[in-house]
Amino acid sequence: MTCWSVNRRITDYVDGLLKGSELARVAAHLRRCGNCEARIQDLGSVRSSLRQLPKAKSPSQVRTRLRVIASQERTLILEADGSRLLLSWNHWKFRMQQLMRPFTIPATGGLCSSLVLFGALAFTIGNTTRGVAYEVPVFAPASIDANLVPVELRSSIVLTLSLDGNGRITDYAFRNDTHSVQGDPATLQYHNLSVPDIPSVMALAQPVSSDIQISVTPMIFRR
Amino acid sequence: MAHPFFANSGKLSILAGAQIGISEEDARILRGLRSGIEGAYEELIERYEQQIFGMVYRLVGNQSDACDVVQEVFLKVFRGVTAFREQSSLRTWIYRIAVNEAYNHRRWFVRHCRMEVPMEETRSEHPNSLDYTPDPGRSPFEQAMDNETRTLIEVALTRINPVFRTAVVLRDVQNLSYEEIADILQVSLGTVKSRILRGREALRRELTQRPDQGLAEAMA
Repeated sequence: MTCWSVNRRITDYVDGLLKGSELARVAAHLRRCGNCEARIQDLGSVRSSLRQLPKAKSPSQVRTRLRVIASQERTLILEADGSRLLLSWNHWKFRMQQLMRPFTIPATGGLCSSLVLFGALAFTIGNTTRGVAYEVPVFAPASIDANLVPVELRSSIVLTLSLDGNGRITDYAFRNDTHSVQGDPATLQYHNLSVPDIPSVMALAQPVSSDIQISVTPMIFRR
Repeated sequence: MAHPFFANSGKLSILAGAQIGISEEDARILRGLRSGIEGAYEELIERYEQQIFGMVYRLVGNQSDACDVVQEVFLKVFRGVTAFREQSSLRTWIYRIAVNEAYNHRRWFVRHCRMEVPMEETRSEHPNSLDYTPDPGRSPFEQAMDNETRTLIEVALTRINPVFRTAVVLRDVQNLSYEEIADILQVSLGTVKSRILRGREALRRELTQRPDQGLAEAMA
């Protein structure tokens, strides 16, 4: 008998299920082949180690839970009174109740919160617009040419804007690494803009008097 | 001695006959389950709870998951009893459900919880977290060595391929026959023997690769 033949019978041999001539032939091979003998010894050790593992005992709460499950299922069967359709329906209904139960309270809370929030804000939402009381300057080039090609980036310039309490620009200035220029507010052109009429938002936000600094990187174009 | 639930047969059929594939005792329990007789449920739980838990525990590797899986198994057994076609024994059928549930649970765990770090200590730190039936003939030292050996084997068992682990647990821990295992796993006898062999060899490799002191005891 070859090692390959022994390999086909190794599980039966280790489990003591080989008999008769097959057992004798395997045993004869093992007397000659140290590798197969060592392998079978190891597998036998693994098997006996597993068999010596103690039986795991289930916790007592498992039995209790199983009894609860059994009671619920028994109730469904008795309610169905022999009707398979009714039994399937009861099973499905029970399953859906169990599935939705964890979500009931958070879903209800979420729904109520949504209703309250929506109700509080619904009257504030409108699609009308109005002109703002304060005006915003718009900087526009004298002419716009579609054939302009960018050729150079200059060093950054910092633009400082001073705003009053109505959001109007009262003063402005430019500066870079080497120069600074004070602006003339009289040259600013103001345009009225329209904003959505959201009184609740405007009640929370109002313009404040402060300075704003914006850093820009000029780009030089050529035609 | 008459079984308790025969006293109130209710809708229970008087004619008892073993169906093909199941024994008379299994047929009796099935009739009781289908009729909603409380004693049948109790008997089923009494008969199979410990062995199913023992098997599932070895397959999933921890107690809390094993408890959850066992509940699912029995729920499926109670629900599926009307559709059970009795082509195999009741035990085979329950074991088959348990193996599939353990496998599904492991798939769900791997998919959703692989990156999570458990808050509780691992079993290797507390090997005695699960109750076992103690051996009164062993000294405290021997029991300590037994615990260490057991831990090594259990950890090695969790590291081998689940397909081979199932075959090894059914054969060497649950002591089922090859035919029963083939019926449970719905594979051929040759496949069962092959999986058992590969499972044992994988365990052998796991145990011999670890240079722990108690390894010699584990392999003894």
